[in-house]
Amino acid sequence: MDDGFSYDQALMEAERCLLCHEPPCSKGCPAKTDPGTFIRKFRMRNVTGAIRTIKENNILGGACGVLCPTCRLCEKECSATGIDKPIRIGKIQRFLIEHSWQVGFKTFDNPMSTDPGRQAEKIAIIGAGPAGLSCAAELAKSGYSVTIFEEREEAGGVLRYGVPSFRFSRSFLKNDLRDLEDLGVKIKCSSAIQKKGDVEKLLEQGFNAVFIGVGLWAPISLKKVPEDDSNIFSSVRFLETFRQEKFKELEKVCRGKIVAVIGGGSVAMDCARVALKLGAKDVNLIYRRSYSQMPAEPDEKIEALEEGIHFILLNQPTDYCRDSKGKLKGINLIRTRLAGADSKSGGSAAARGSGRRKPVEIPGSEWVMECDTAIEAIGNKAAADSGDWYPSVSVNSEMLVQADKETGQTNMEGIFAGGDIVRGPGTVVQAVADGKTAAKSIIGWLEKKRLKPAGYVSSRKEKKV
Amino acid sequence: MSKKVDLSVNYCGVQFLNPFMLSSSPVSNCAEMVARSFETGWAGVSYKTLVTDKIPIFHPSPRMHGYNYGDKRLVGLQNVEQTTDRGLKPNLRDITWLKKKYPKHIVMASIMGFCNQDWADLSKAVSDAGADLIELNFSCPHMTVEGSGAKVGQVHDLVQKFTETARSVTRVPLVAKMTPNISDINEPAMAAKRGGAKGLSAINTVAGLSEVGLDDFVPRPNVFGKGAISGYSGPAVKPVGLRCVAQMAQNKEHGLPISGMGGIETWVDALEYLLVGATTVQVTTGIIHYGYRIVEDMIEGLSDYMASKKITRVKDLVGKALPRLHETGDFDVKRQGIAKYDFDKCVGCGQCYIVCRDAGGSALEWDNGARRPIHDKDKCLSCMVCSFVCPVSGLINFKEMPKTWKRKETLTLG
Ligand SMILES: Cc1cc2nc3c(=O)[nH]c(=O)nc-3n(C[C@H](O)[C@H](O)[C@H](O)COP(=O)(O)OP(=O)(O)OC[C@H]3O[C@@H](n4cnc5c(N)ncnc54)[C@H](O)[C@@H]3O)c2cc1C
Ligand SMILES: Cc1cc2nc3c(=O)[nH]c(=O)nc-3n(C[C@H](O)[C@H](O)[C@H](O)COP(=O)(O)O)c2cc1C
Ligand code: SF4
Repeated sequence: MDDGFSYDQALMEAERCLLCHEPPCSKGCPAKTDPGTFIRKFRMRNVTGAIRTIKENNILGGACGVLCPTCRLCEKECSATGIDKPIRIGKIQRFLIEHSWQVGFKTFDNPMSTDPGRQAEKIAIIGAGPAGLSCAAELAKSGYSVTIFEEREEAGGVLRYGVPSFRFSRSFLKNDLRDLEDLGVKIKCSSAIQKKGDVEKLLEQGFNAVFIGVGLWAPISLKKVPEDDSNIFSSVRFLETFRQEKFKELEKVCRGKIVAVIGGGSVAMDCARVALKLGAKDVNLIYRRSYSQMPAEPDEKIEALEEGIHFILLNQPTDYCRDSKGKLKGINLIRTRLAGADSKSGGSAAARGSGRRKPVEIPGSEWVMECDTAIEAIGNKAAADSGDWYPSVSVNSEMLVQADKETGQTNMEGIFAGGDIVRGPGTVVQAVADGKTAAKSIIGWLEKKRLKPAGYVSSRKEKKV
Repeated sequence: MSKKVDLSVNYCGVQFLNPFMLSSSPVSNCAEMVARSFETGWAGVSYKTLVTDKIPIFHPSPRMHGYNYGDKRLVGLQNVEQTTDRGLKPNLRDITWLKKKYPKHIVMASIMGFCNQDWADLSKAVSDAGADLIELNFSCPHMTVEGSGAKVGQVHDLVQKFTETARSVTRVPLVAKMTPNISDINEPAMAAKRGGAKGLSAINTVAGLSEVGLDDFVPRPNVFGKGAISGYSGPAVKPVGLRCVAQMAQNKEHGLPISGMGGIETWVDALEYLLVGATTVQVTTGIIHYGYRIVEDMIEGLSDYMASKKITRVKDLVGKALPRLHETGDFDVKRQGIAKYDFDKCVGCGQCYIVCRDAGGSALEWDNGARRPIHDKDKCLSCMVCSFVCPVSGLINFKEMPKTWKRKETLTLG
């Protein structure tokens, strides 16, 4: 992972900040991390205060400092753009968090609240990804007893099993998890909540509320591929294997090989770059539109190109090509051209386009691109059976949980949800924001229930979303 | 929220929620502004200097000039502002309103008389209005009215006389505000004590001349073709303010509590004032630069500092640096050191080489190929000018040498 700012660099950058009135950058942050305030605090030599602002507003402030697409968020709003270029807010945020480790400053060194009423109330969180962790932190800060149930061996969600280590070092996650521990959050790993009606059972077993933040872990596939095809990977499996440090397994299919990556988003860039780092001879990234329509962030695209990844643009994969033994030997492609924009609105969510120019196949332009290994990075979706984990909760045709985006409330009283499982593929900071919002709603709801307890608990009613 | 630390202090027998006050200036011009400052966290105010309505006050226009250094704005501020230009009555009503609305916050009324009777009348008026403290402004360096401001502060008999006059009409504790534009600040301080002052505050602005127009030849601020030597404040005057406060705090003869000011922007600046003997601190230019909001960082920064040092009372910080403040003659000059370089961090700019050669001990050679200085330890004067210009923090540090070490003599030509 690249080096963050030094103290000098961070200060120099912060010195450029205009210390605006009602800072627009703060409005640009979905999780309300409040850069306007933490940069001002840093400038005013209140360094511990700056760190506190970040951590209290965003338990994953360090991760966001590294991973946020800031040019679309806080930095997009920066007033300094009117003079020169925006303040590099993400970098300052990351610096302050790294600085807190260096000086040993802890934001949460004792339980925040000792209200016995709140301590007696238990909240279950499903999934230790950014949404779940942030929801847990917010509730624990307010004095509630929080338990996170996580399917995998370790907590972190995509931060642990998705984003490759050269972009996001484990130390960030480790420190953030320590903060959660300081707050008294219990994390139960290897504890999937996956059996029919498991979520509702938690409520019956004495949890007062549940937050669902299970993310999207089922790959979208080009063609039905057997799960264990040793040369065709989903991005989930490929990156997860990498993050589990099973390098040998991956080197077998990468070192000296031609690797094809299908997709044009951030995840595709991550897969391509991992393959190259594992010694691939050539990495061809196949995308059906052109460069500017690729959903990956501009700097990721440039870095990938600089590292030596080949972009095969305006090509649509149609099928895999195998040798007589069934082993992968290439991908069938057809060239495309861009037609008019597809429509952004109208129709069902699935049919709705992205407003980008649409790729149209050029008849007769089929060709085969040779490759030894293929990685599909064309998106993740909710597990097909996820609806069964919480049968009382409304989900849509894509199995996304239907929750109010302003409150995280699902149709079931006491059940809240947020992050990718509600919004579809999103960002870390949006998941953090959802976790926070849901925590606030949970607190409000529990508080109200405490004030008028009778009748409320016994009949769990459906609510309109 | 910062760690819960009690920041309260007692100054002249008056209890403050924390040591942070607005100083007398446009930042404390009226109740509406002061009220907002209290809401933001300031514990007290030295209200903009009041005068009797006998002589009308007009501010020159424009009345300030910002002094920049490179791209750094407002390292200093030059002003020709006078005392309040609002009427006495509305100001008194504002003071009464503030005390009623914010009983726990402290209002110190700053006053300035143009004759002996004025001091009596004003002291009585602000006492009746409910002020907790009265600050006698003996220190404005640019009053347009004869016999006022720093002109009084420089004549010790008048300081004593006007303080006595105020003393005779009120029991409200009196604070004498001192000018730095004097050779020994303790002389007027002693005169104020003799007159019955219960506390001191300093510094008012430093007489200065910050910039001159190159085309119009007018010193700034340019008041329709005329400039004047006038009050200079802000970060650039902090060393002068700290010096004045330390000198007064070291003077055991008067033993009066001090409210320190001059260039305070951050909790670090404020803490430095406390460490050299101030009990409360006041701010103007910092607020002119950033607004009232900076007090949030002062409170949080000082609280975190105290928590980390396990200090529970602000009182225990007051004057903590004074035992280490000596005459230069007390230094142990047998102990000597040099500048030590950590070349791993060097970026190769060569600024150290330039200044060491032209302003230091000429102890550096320049390796042109490697773009690195070569340090001759035995020539190093430990002036440390190289470290001041080095763009990398922590690359050049002071290091003590063994007692047996001897510095090379400077080369003699001819
Ligand atoms: C490879 C990759 C790179 C990315 N890069 C970036 C980036 O640079 N910047 C950015 O902002 N965003 C990035 N994202 C998106 C971002 O990571 C997600 O939007 C975010 O992690 C969503 O958080 P979440 O908490 O909703 O879900 P997740 O992070 O997916 O976490 C869900 C957690 O729930 C657990 N879980 C699932 N089912 C169960 C169950 N039944 N019982 C118990 N636990 C369960 C999972 O194991 C997981 O730990 C990236 C995504 C990927 C895949
Ligand atoms: C514009 C301006 C007006 C001021 N007016 C007064 C005043 O009316 N009475 C007074 O005692 N000091 C006055 N001062 C001095 C300040 O109260 C303070 O002593 C000085 O500015 C040093 O502090 P600072 O560096 O925080 O500004 C004024 C200062 C400025 C900049
Ligand atoms: S600061 Fe306000 S009052 Fe002063 S000149 Fe500017 S606009 Fe006018």
